[in-house]
Amino acid sequence: MAIDINEYNSKLKPTWCPGCGNFLIHMSLKKALSELNITPSQTYIAFDIGCNGNGADKINTYAFKGLHGRAIPLSAGLHLANRKFTVIADLGDGACFHEGLDHLIHAIRSNYDITIIIHNNQNFALTTGQATLTTDEEKPMYGLPDSKPERTLEPSEIILSANPSLYARGYSGDMQQMTELIKAGIQNKGCSVIEIMQLCPTYNEECTPQWFMQRIHKIEDTNRTLEEARKVGTITDESINTGIIYRNTQLKTFYELLENRKDTQTELVDEVKQYDVQKLFDQFK
Amino acid sequence: MPANRYCIKLGGESGQGINTLGILLSKAIKSIGYNIFSYREYPSLIKGGVASYQIDLASKYIASSSKSCHILVILDPEAVHEYLHSLNANGILLYDDKQVVFTQEEQDWIKQNNVHTIYLDSQTIAINAGGSPIMSNIVMTSFLWKLLGFNPEDLTNIVKEIFASKGDDVINKNILCLNAGYNASEFKNEYLQNTLIPEQLKQENSSKILTGNDAIALGAISAGVRAYYGYPMTPATTIFKYLGNTYKETGILIKQAESEITAVQMALGSMAMGTRALTATSGGGFDLMQETISCAGITETPLVIVLAQRIGAGTGVPTWTGSSDIHTAVKSGHGEFPKTVLCVSDVQSGYILIQQAFNIAEIYQIPVIVLTEKQIAESLFTVETLPQPLQIQRGTYDGESRYTITNTGISPRWIPSFDKKPYLNTSDEHNQNSQSTENAEEIKAMSDKRMQKHATLLSNLPEPTLYGDPNVPTVLVGCGSTKNPVIDAINEGMNIAYLHYEYIFPTKTQALMNLVSSGKRIIFVENNQTGELGKILTEASGYQFKEKVLKYDGRPLFLEDILNIQI
Repeated sequence: MAIDINEYNSKLKPTWCPGCGNFLIHMSLKKALSELNITPSQTYIAFDIGCNGNGADKINTYAFKGLHGRAIPLSAGLHLANRKFTVIADLGDGACFHEGLDHLIHAIRSNYDITIIIHNNQNFALTTGQATLTTDEEKPMYGLPDSKPERTLEPSEIILSANPSLYARGYSGDMQQMTELIKAGIQNKGCSVIEIMQLCPTYNEECTPQWFMQRIHKIEDTNRTLEEARKVGTITDESINTGIIYRNTQLKTFYELLENRKDTQTELVDEVKQYDVQKLFDQFK
Repeated sequence: MPANRYCIKLGGESGQGINTLGILLSKAIKSIGYNIFSYREYPSLIKGGVASYQIDLASKYIASSSKSCHILVILDPEAVHEYLHSLNANGILLYDDKQVVFTQEEQDWIKQNNVHTIYLDSQTIAINAGGSPIMSNIVMTSFLWKLLGFNPEDLTNIVKEIFASKGDDVINKNILCLNAGYNASEFKNEYLQNTLIPEQLKQENSSKILTGNDAIALGAISAGVRAYYGYPMTPATTIFKYLGNTYKETGILIKQAESEITAVQMALGSMAMGTRALTATSGGGFDLMQETISCAGITETPLVIVLAQRIGAGTGVPTWTGSSDIHTAVKSGHGEFPKTVLCVSDVQSGYILIQQAFNIAEIYQIPVIVLTEKQIAESLFTVETLPQPLQIQRGTYDGESRYTITNTGISPRWIPSFDKKPYLNTSDEHNQNSQSTENAEEIKAMSDKRMQKHATLLSNLPEPTLYGDPNVPTVLVGCGSTKNPVIDAINEGMNIAYLHYEYIFPTKTQALMNLVSSGKRIIFVENNQTGELGKILTEASGYQFKEKVLKYDGRPLFLEDILNIQI
């Protein structure tokens, strides 16, 4: 029995542009939580700044809308303090690959047991359409009438270079698949990166639902080497593969590798009390 | 020259083991019943350059360094030129390298000041005694020990203790070298220093020596800190070292983050989830943390940061001391929001203030910055016991809305739990129900609510403490490490009192203004260029300091710097 999805609704209605991919991403996240029977009070979402972050007060879970680019380290801190919570970092391609790129790489290599949802709409939309590293190289953008001089980078290359525990790609027009991918991310023990190719009818109007539908190709969830995953993950002019691209079930999480926490059953939140430091003090001579 | 203390300085090449030798000697001197205060000078590099280790010893508690020493032990020819002039008149220079060549100026200076120079071929003595060349340091130390007039058994005990993990062979060789150094024929009775050295305590000495950073780490453990997130930066790094090296005993989660931004964000996240987490940094790292301080301010999330100061803007002088980040701490973060800045001065205050910082951060749901300085962070203090720990206060209580407007400004905050109502912490301006707002009335009401916490907190903070005789005409004012040479100067008989600020923001001014209105001569003393605490006090009280003693050359305020103030 899934939890009623209305449980996850706040009193406010979303404010995104008509046709924005965020509506269905937001809905898929709620649906994934409900289908996994994770209650609003068992969920903690760290929202970044950007159009996605405007969803923070539109969902009824524990949440923290913090700073631009910092949803990932904030999530890591939330998670390590109480691993019983389902912790999700929700951020855009600007936050993830520009302001906070270091956090993405280090979170993957640290392998915190969190789920990172990247809303990849190929631009900084909330500040009205600046280029990101996923923006098409030829495309004129805000303040860049002749397009950006920098090269485009492939998120899958960045993510796979750090050997993630799970990497999946969804499309904001396919709620059913997104829900399944987010569920897989939450259920995976380790750092799960879910990249969502997001419609942005205002600042990326060329990439219409039809444009995406011609290119989207769903792939199977099978064992792949990193090399195979790179091939499958590469976006070409003709095709964008969606589905679970890579899993590495061998990786231990950050917390599991902490020698001093191995035999501890409690969480850090349970342990705040006065500690007698006399023995430690006595070790000083 | 201070009368009630004796000062030893070791000088050598950086990376030559000066620090290890200094700690060994500090422990040995402490073990025979002295109070010591040890201070390091070293360059920001791993090998090469000169470094020193200075030990001041006294029968009473001291917490400051002297500017000049009675005896200088030189282990590297370059160091002699750097440190020769820090010797007192009639002092002793002990060196062990034939390559030491004094310039004409140095030869004249040695003569004029009646300095005794003693050359000891420590390496040959070590080898002849059956040790290795590196044990020349032990030869020098034991010869020094003899000059001081101390019993060789006491030094032997400490050597055994320090080298315990290295095995019997190393210990035995070191002891052979120790004895050879102690009995070296270069010794003459006229060199004996015992008339200059204060009397040692007669009772058994159970005191410990630890650094200011050790005290902050112990206080954090005591306060229930369960996670430490750090990024290396001198002079904050040794907090990480202590908490890391004791993590098996304490169970504290240790994370070396990829940047200071990450470290402080992880701390913020863990605090929001309801545990206690700490991060520590220095100037540049603190700058990176400031956006998060602002975020903690508006989201009303408890946050504690230790800011261990070193001197200078930019990279500055990374391994030297100063207190030039007071203003940065008080003014940190964009926008307007309440925060607290506390200022550590020694082991006791480091232990207590870090506990207080967590209580204030949680009760008032604000960022708290705990300032220390390299001179406190890395120096060794002698202490008998730690003060009684503070009771943990978390200030949590349940409510309907996370940002409910109250008289005190303090809203309900409950630790996230499966059986409690979820809420949103948001850095968007918001109404009482965490909904983002651009409504004029709501913006003003929430801003007023937050700032009300500043007023509530100010009314609950203590006034600064007055040390010394309140009837004397001259009062010095300061914070942080300023306290230590000033109190030591009072104990040397200087006719001053001292007003000491531990809680520097929000700022209490009544005690200061009472002194001003009673006609005292007020002298402001700080280890920075522009009188940063003074500016904070002026802003809060309107009082303009007419007399300031400011030092900003990377060196601490030495005892002589205070004694030389004309009163």
